[in-house]
Amino acid sequence: MTTGVGAVETSGPAPLPSSGTQDPDGRDTPDISPAATPTRRLVRLAAIAVAYYLGARLGLSLSLVGNDVTPLWPPTGVAVAALIVFGRSYWPAVAVAALAVNLPISANPLAAVVTAVGNTLAPVVAVTFLRRVGFRRELDRQSDAIAIVFLGALASMLVSATIGAVTLLASGSITTGQLPAAWAVWWTGDAMGVLTVAPFLLCLPLFWEQRRWPLRLWLEALAILVVASLVVAAAVTTGLHIFFLTLPLLGWAAWRLQLRGAAPAALIATLLATAAAARQRGPFEGKTLLEQMVTLQAFNACVALTSFFLAALVSERMQTAAALTAAASELERRVEQRTAQLSAANTRLVQEIQERSEAQEQLSHEEARAQREHQIAETLQRSLLPDRLPDVPGVALAARYVPATADVQVGGDWYDVVQLPGGLIGLAIGDVAGHGLNAAATMVQVRMALRAYALQDPSPPAVMRGVHQLVAQLPVPEMVTLIYLVFDPATRRIRWTNAGHPPALAFADGQGAFLEGALSPPVGVTVDGSFTEASEVLPPGVTLLLYTDGLVERRGVSLTAGLARLDREACAVPDDDVEALCERLLDTFLDEEHIEDDVAILAMRPVPSVDGELDVRLPAEARNLVQVRSALRRWLKEAAVSEPDVNEVLVACGEACANVVQHAYSDQESVGELVVEARLDGDDLVVRVRDHGHWRPAADRGGGWGLHLMRALMDDVDVEHTPAGTDVRLHRRVHVGVEA
Amino acid sequence: MSDLARVDTRRAGTTQLVRITGELDLSNARELTDAVGHAVPDDVTLVVVDLSGTTYLDSGGIAAFFRLSQRLRDRRQDLRLVVPDASPIRAVVELTRLSQVIPVDQSAPDLSGQMAYAALPPDSAPDRSQPPATTDAPDPGAPDMSDPEGDQRNG
Repeated sequence: MTTGVGAVETSGPAPLPSSGTQDPDGRDTPDISPAATPTRRLVRLAAIAVAYYLGARLGLSLSLVGNDVTPLWPPTGVAVAALIVFGRSYWPAVAVAALAVNLPISANPLAAVVTAVGNTLAPVVAVTFLRRVGFRRELDRQSDAIAIVFLGALASMLVSATIGAVTLLASGSITTGQLPAAWAVWWTGDAMGVLTVAPFLLCLPLFWEQRRWPLRLWLEALAILVVASLVVAAAVTTGLHIFFLTLPLLGWAAWRLQLRGAAPAALIATLLATAAAARQRGPFEGKTLLEQMVTLQAFNACVALTSFFLAALVSERMQTAAALTAAASELERRVEQRTAQLSAANTRLVQEIQERSEAQEQLSHEEARAQREHQIAETLQRSLLPDRLPDVPGVALAARYVPATADVQVGGDWYDVVQLPGGLIGLAIGDVAGHGLNAAATMVQVRMALRAYALQDPSPPAVMRGVHQLVAQLPVPEMVTLIYLVFDPATRRIRWTNAGHPPALAFADGQGAFLEGALSPPVGVTVDGSFTEASEVLPPGVTLLLYTDGLVERRGVSLTAGLARLDREACAVPDDDVEALCERLLDTFLDEEHIEDDVAILAMRPVPSVDGELDVRLPAEARNLVQVRSALRRWLKEAAVSEPDVNEVLVACGEACANVVQHAYSDQESVGELVVEARLDGDDLVVRVRDHGHWRPAADRGGGWGLHLMRALMDDVDVEHTPAGTDVRLHRRVHVGVEA
Repeated sequence: MSDLARVDTRRAGTTQLVRITGELDLSNARELTDAVGHAVPDDVTLVVVDLSGTTYLDSGGIAAFFRLSQRLRDRRQDLRLVVPDASPIRAVVELTRLSQVIPVDQSAPDLSGQMAYAALPPDSAPDRSQPPATTDAPDPGAPDMSDPEGDQRNG
């Protein structure tokens, strides 16, 4: 039905697009009641016609000169407002009312009809223009104010003014010379009618369409109207030029109440001013027609424009402010929403992380335990291996232990060096089968037992028997491979026994040989535990190398090939230094990334005395006295000094050394050095015992027997004290070349 | 350094036999003789320290034996030393005139004879001349003691 009605109405007097009066939600349908029933439509038509007519009567009553010059033509405003509010389809009411107005005042009915057509056409054109530019009847934007002033009033009313003025000329009411003035009056009257009346009428629906005024605003509006009326009345009645006072009032109304305050105030001001002009009262008294017209229209224009523009400006600002507030709160809401989302996501993330870390912790628990055991075994192993090999004069020693890199492979390999009575040195290297804590613990027991047995009786088979008995009675007997070897530095003789261990390697000058003899099954395997002994004298300059199988055993390589390689590599080491030898062998044989099995190596090399002279330097500690004796005894025997002489020289030298140990550094915090040098020229023996401390008379040592013994046992004893230390020279002729 | 020397003790009747094998020097002499003094029971009347297996002895060791002797004398116990003529420490013992304070024998005492003697009450000595190993010699390990050690040192 909508389209049907629209189609009918396109056949109207102007080529207008359908107004869509019954379009319920079209944006350019300004109808208050889209679903207007025919009855309501008739009522509205009648109301519009009546209003138009009354407006015309009012306008005529305000004419300046008879019925000719009407400065304000309210019906035009009524027509424009009605067509804006109800739609252009209500034009017949305008046409009828216009005809009714014009018939009595026109020269003939035809002129009245033509004039009425012009009066109807002008509002229709005005509304058409306004719709084109998207005019809002709330008049709350500056563009709306501009549109109604320029399109709705000034431009559209050219139609009615032109038609009306030409009709006046054609009907003979005016002469050609009067035409411009008549046209101008007509045009300004119609335009003013639109500018003053239309906004007022348009503001009326807003009272129920927009936010209702509280009582306070009603009182304010009333006050504005009253004051405005008083001001204009005063201006009119007293003749004072105070029309301009209305402008601040209009500003007030527009600022506080927008269109709903400004439009009524402007209408009242305009009506009063026009009425005063029509009666030539106040400022209009005694003025020419033109002066009256100019003054009045200028005032009316000011009032209208001020009120519209200001109201529109304020509305727009308020809308902007409201929009900004809404946007701000919307933004705030979205920020809050987003924050909540992020916070929730964060919580979820934290939870996930925690779950993952827990899972990971669980996962790595087993791994950590294995690692811990590995660490404990390695720590145990390291702490129980000798942290420092003993200083043995005349013998160079070096050892290395490298734990397996795999988790549980550590433990079981060990070595030891024991100093035995009589200057003997016990060397041991072994491997407890198995890995981990148990192997390490067994290793500890075996090592300690071996030490004890060796001190009791250095004989290799005796020591091995002891170890065998210990291992056999362990709750869980372990298989232990072991080489135990006793070295006598004085004779360079080695005695050893080998319980299932890879043979020791002796090499010198690029020639190597494995010590194959005295091999028996591993300790703890056989029942009887009988062990044999082998012995050999090491040639001068030989190096002895003991090792565990981790050094030479490789997957896919036979043990024979591994041993051959060890022989080759050891002989290829150019240096005599045993430390360098150990480093070189580890570098050559071990892969740094992955060491499958523990590796222990122990190297020993007898060091020939330098140029036939003895030079021993040791910390001046009581426990080192035996080292000095061993070294000196060995040196004297190498020099073929007779046994009785050796024993007596040992005592004399021992007394001098004991003095150094007891007295030289007794006032110092750290222990200084004890230096023993010996030289033999033919049968002339000189032994020097030196220190870097202070001499103290040997008062309380065995009744001073120290010095007494030295003097008794040696031919000559010379003691020299200097600030740098004490130098004791022992001199004696000895028997050389006599077999001990 | 207690590794230097080893101590074996054995009791036969009222005699305590102490055998010191190894070397005695500043590092171990004093603690070793102190230990011997502590270990001797009160009812022992004679302590024989056998130094046959001792390869080194210095003035610190001599002083330690003087000390031990004094201590035992306070407890009414006698001390005797055994130092063979061929011992490496013979010279030191003689030079310090140790024998003037502590009797020094050439060889270890005849343990069984001493035991028999010690076991006999003074009055009834002639009657019981035959029960040597029955009452007071629980361990027949005596042959060990006369076996000199240190064979590995002969170059």
